[in-house]
Amino acid sequence: MTQETLFLKNTETFAESLARCGVKYHFAYPITPATDVMKRMAVILPQYGGEMMQMESELAVSSALAGAACTGTLVATSSSGPGLTLMHEAIGFMCAAELPCLMFDSMRVGPGDGDIIGAQSDYFVATRGGAHGDYHVIVLAPASGQEIADIMPHGVRLAYKYRTPVLFVVDGLSAQTTESTTLPAYNDYSAEFDTSDWAYTGTQDHPKRALITGSYSHQDGYEMNEMLRAKYEKIYDNEQMWEAEQVEDADLVIAAFGIHGRMCTDMVAKMRAEGKKVGFIRPITLWPFPDRAFAALPDSVKNILVVEMNHGQMIDDVRLAVNGRIPVHFLGKTGGDMPMCTLAEMIAEANRILGE
Amino acid sequence: MENLSAKYGKTLNLDKLTSYCPGCGHGIVTRLVAEAIENLGIMERTIAIVGIGCGGFSHHYMDIDAIEATHGRAPSFAVGYKLTRPDNIVFTYAGDGDTSAIGLGDLLHAANKGMPITTIMVNNTVFGMTGGQMSPTSLEGQVTATTVKGRDVSKQGYPLLVPELMRAMPGVKYLARETVATPKGVRKTKKSIQKAFDCQVKGLGYAFVELIVPCPTGLKLNVKGSYERCGKEMTDYFKPQVFKDETEQGHVA
Repeated sequence: MTQETLFLKNTETFAESLARCGVKYHFAYPITPATDVMKRMAVILPQYGGEMMQMESELAVSSALAGAACTGTLVATSSSGPGLTLMHEAIGFMCAAELPCLMFDSMRVGPGDGDIIGAQSDYFVATRGGAHGDYHVIVLAPASGQEIADIMPHGVRLAYKYRTPVLFVVDGLSAQTTESTTLPAYNDYSAEFDTSDWAYTGTQDHPKRALITGSYSHQDGYEMNEMLRAKYEKIYDNEQMWEAEQVEDADLVIAAFGIHGRMCTDMVAKMRAEGKKVGFIRPITLWPFPDRAFAALPDSVKNILVVEMNHGQMIDDVRLAVNGRIPVHFLGKTGGDMPMCTLAEMIAEANRILGE
Repeated sequence: MENLSAKYGKTLNLDKLTSYCPGCGHGIVTRLVAEAIENLGIMERTIAIVGIGCGGFSHHYMDIDAIEATHGRAPSFAVGYKLTRPDNIVFTYAGDGDTSAIGLGDLLHAANKGMPITTIMVNNTVFGMTGGQMSPTSLEGQVTATTVKGRDVSKQGYPLLVPELMRAMPGVKYLARETVATPKGVRKTKKSIQKAFDCQVKGLGYAFVELIVPCPTGLKLNVKGSYERCGKEMTDYFKPQVFKDETEQGHVA
């Protein structure tokens, strides 16, 4: 498949991006607002010699994902909050087993079954984990269809470099937005990585390998956890990503991810035009959280405003990142017909803080 | 010392002491699985996906690649594996708790998909590793750590007949229940396990074998008593039989 610019729903862009980056097998269960990913995968993956397999539950989805990932094959899934909740059993397993895969969460309102309206309520479950034990998945939060396409090769490389699940989180509104996106030509980025030293493919070319995530001695368990700790520290040190604008002389910095982060460009432009020194930080990796962006903020910054489509989840990471150095404020909405904070509301809240 | 590898082949790892309890049926079943793999010449392309519990130890005694799945999910792991590696032989091996309690949904859907996968379910009517609790297959009136007055079917339902649930599924091509309670039962078990693997080698569809085995520890019986129970009460209810054998259809293109 060659490079082309298409007018697609961003769920479809996600599917196209997965397939064009080498994903061969996709496992999923229908759930709004993520279903269009599996629908498009069902159509396009056979063109790449692959297949979308609809499973009977998200428990089965993530288990099949793990079973397929252990062969070294590039595999993916897509879901939404309630489905992600069910998938966590095998997500924890894949982290322990060091299996690469790509996952997509089209975030909707919770808790419980919530509502299909888009939200950013899955920040905690994505970044803190919904399974037991000390583990992390790498969490990427693209803010547009174009960023989904642009960041996908990096997602594959992260999954294989660190042998870990990589989770894309997109709020349900952005996921359902239709916009023009330039999609890359086909390239299997997982082929850059040699899996022959760990994949479970039969003993024809290696002595017996056993994928054991439980320990049979306390020492084994300790060593597995220390190995994972070292890996996560390496990821934390090396893989923080963010976009920042006009923070160098800012009085006030807005921190937002996804759709609110995308709106920050307009917000800052409008407020700068009024002579107000406002900048923004848009985290692209939610785990590892880009705390270096906040540590580097100049002394001119007197306040930070965190805007989220939830009751305040990423704000915890912002507070940890500044560690009391800068006051942190919050604006957030979730539920209802349109949970997104409007640009006018964001600007009004910024002006209120600047006027304090 | 006699070279046992010459007798049993390379699949069975004879260097390790097993962690199965004395008298446990897993030892016989594990050996027969290894022999079936050996006989079919598929050792190097076979993957074990084992469950949680005593059955999870089975791969320790075979020199093949193995994956220990999460509790009950081995069939779904196998579906994912088989999709990406259709030329490999993948089998699941787990007890009745893993297979018929927490994993029943995964099991039935994997069976109904009809993909060429082999499942070995070792049924001793009790949760062995966790210390003798009720299983879906515990017999009526069976005293366990959690049915201290015996299984009451008005509350806990009837012992689950798993292969009977699969009988109507067209994708299931080999379906049997056997027992290791007697030498004759062991010989039949050997044949059924071999056919269940051969069904996959031929690419025909899903194959399932339930093995009725004793668990002296979980049932708090001596070895002789546990075998007697296995050969009487257990097989009276869980009747050994070949429900379906469509393995003679030859290779599917």
